[in-house]
Amino acid sequence: MPSLTRRHLMMISAAAVLLPSVAMAQDPGAILRAAFDNWRATSSHVIAEMTIRSSTGTRSLTMESWTEGSDKALVRFIAPARDAGNATLQSGRRTYVFNPRLNQVIQLPASAMSQSWMGSDFSYSDLTKTEQLVNDYTHTLLETRRQSGHVVYVIESVPKRGKPIVWGKQIVHVRADFVLLRQEFYDQSGNLVRTMVTDRVRTMGGRPYPTELTMSSVATPGQYTKIVTQSAAFDIDIPSYLFTRSNLQNPR
Amino acid sequence: MESLKLLAPLAWRNLWRNPRRTVITLFVVSVGLWSILAMASFITAWGQSSRDATLRLLFAQGQIHAEGYLDNPNINRLMDPPDTALLAALNAPEISNWAARLELPAVVRSEYKTLPVTVVGVLPEAEIRISSIPQKLVEGRYLSGPEDDGAIIGLNLAKRLKTALGRRVILMITAQDGWLEERSFDVVGIYDADTAFEDTYIFTGRAAMQTMVGLGDEISQIAFEVPEDEALEGVIASLRAAAPAHDVRQWRKLSLIMGAMDASMAATVYVWMSVMMVMISIGVINTQLMAVFERIHEFGLLRALGLKPAHVLVLVTLESMLLIGLGVLIGMLAGAATVWGLAGGIDLSAFSQALEAFKSGEVLYLEIRPMDYVIFPLAIWLLGVWVALWPAWRAAKISPVEAMRHAT
Repeated sequence: MPSLTRRHLMMISAAAVLLPSVAMAQDPGAILRAAFDNWRATSSHVIAEMTIRSSTGTRSLTMESWTEGSDKALVRFIAPARDAGNATLQSGRRTYVFNPRLNQVIQLPASAMSQSWMGSDFSYSDLTKTEQLVNDYTHTLLETRRQSGHVVYVIESVPKRGKPIVWGKQIVHVRADFVLLRQEFYDQSGNLVRTMVTDRVRTMGGRPYPTELTMSSVATPGQYTKIVTQSAAFDIDIPSYLFTRSNLQNPR
Repeated sequence: MESLKLLAPLAWRNLWRNPRRTVITLFVVSVGLWSILAMASFITAWGQSSRDATLRLLFAQGQIHAEGYLDNPNINRLMDPPDTALLAALNAPEISNWAARLELPAVVRSEYKTLPVTVVGVLPEAEIRISSIPQKLVEGRYLSGPEDDGAIIGLNLAKRLKTALGRRVILMITAQDGWLEERSFDVVGIYDADTAFEDTYIFTGRAAMQTMVGLGDEISQIAFEVPEDEALEGVIASLRAAAPAHDVRQWRKLSLIMGAMDASMAATVYVWMSVMMVMISIGVINTQLMAVFERIHEFGLLRALGLKPAHVLVLVTLESMLLIGLGVLIGMLAGAATVWGLAGGIDLSAFSQALEAFKSGEVLYLEIRPMDYVIFPLAIWLLGVWVALWPAWRAAKISPVEAMRHAT
């Protein structure tokens, strides 16, 4: 599944030691790995606003999220009042959802993993799949182009045989300073299914960071999910209790 | 008895005093009975054909599961392959074929959609003998062996997933360690059954599926085919004796809906019969009342000549017995003629799209069930005569004086 999308969510929080730009520019796998490491920090704390435009209208949610390593993440919605308190915890291979109105923690069953996350264009499995794009795909550098003053690599990633990936291929645009600019998901017939675009890159937490992202599906023109990062802190100390079920239900 | 000898020829001749009216009544009765008989044959044939088609699809006449699997089908309620005792019982001559399968709930995912399904791991050579799915492929090929990790999916499921032959789908099945196992399967074949079935079942090789979810040779189900319905009870009993720890059931208990449908087919005929009864009754009462009112003078004369009221009642009742009896005979002949006329079978393939929902086979073969030709004619005859007692009673009440005063 589209691991980059998850990284995007994480990058809301993400951070990592900025890798020195070693001369690996021509190895597409290494470029993606570097981009991945660039976003991922040992830990992060991010506040972002998610705007969902659907067929029924537009709504905005503010969320606060923490990540640690590649397998722990907690996202808690803090506004508006209607959605505040809803939280999603990813810990290892398990994903839990907390609903304050039910006061219940639910471990998501398999069938629910591909459902929409909070009504957005992201699914729960977008949140949980981690390094799949880097490890389970074969990468080819299609083109190196200059775009608004930056070198941009266009990489085609095709799933390795036998890997549980539905996509036919992905096309990823990465800036030379390892910021992901664009990610396109194609079906197995080569038709574009959905696209994630970086609308704005700013320096945040001491690194170039894509602060505005838009995810949209070809099948639903005019609808999208946009995530705007408001503040971010990277490589901070996060207490270990944060990523527990009890903290999901009763935040300290 | 003496009076009956006198009255019977009189009644017969009275019937033909107004031939047109008699013929119309005969027509109503015979068409009514014919429609009941023809419908009974058709419904029976249809029920049998659709039942056979459904059982032939996958379910067979009976199945063996581990105890509790049917209440909660999951990977923790599997069973080992049949042991020698069960094998001996399964190879009995009453059982024509059997197949051991691994059937588990799963989730299938394509680029566009994620849907809940049931995955069935099969042994292709056994499946070809017991199930009609291998013959229902419209694209691609069937599985080549138990190790074949291709997927056979339904036409409608392919449409809903927006996938096609040769493309990948991801199957997610809860494995034995409790984790969700994901694996990509190439769609190697697409079958065409009814849409509800197509949306539910995906087939793959049994060994390939066992490997995927971390199993040895465990199975979830043994389906067995018993061609003779009469032998089914005995087969179930012998299988239960051979595998006392398992849950052995015949199809009526496996699919309560099918069992209920089987039982309700007969009820449909009776509903139709009561509708026809009402129509026939109205026809008979109308004719006989008319006949009585036209003959008030005549009844008065008969009474004056010495016929008792009871004799008049018997006379009119005899008339209706003969009238309805004749109609019933014609109806029976017409019903039998219809069945014989359609002995070559009714080809439903032209309507197969419309009838798909009813899961019927494509050609119906009607047959005469002797009991239908006893029960329905007798019921119609008796009920018809019973309602005709009213006009007869009216006729018996006529007194000679009244009749003479009656204006013609």
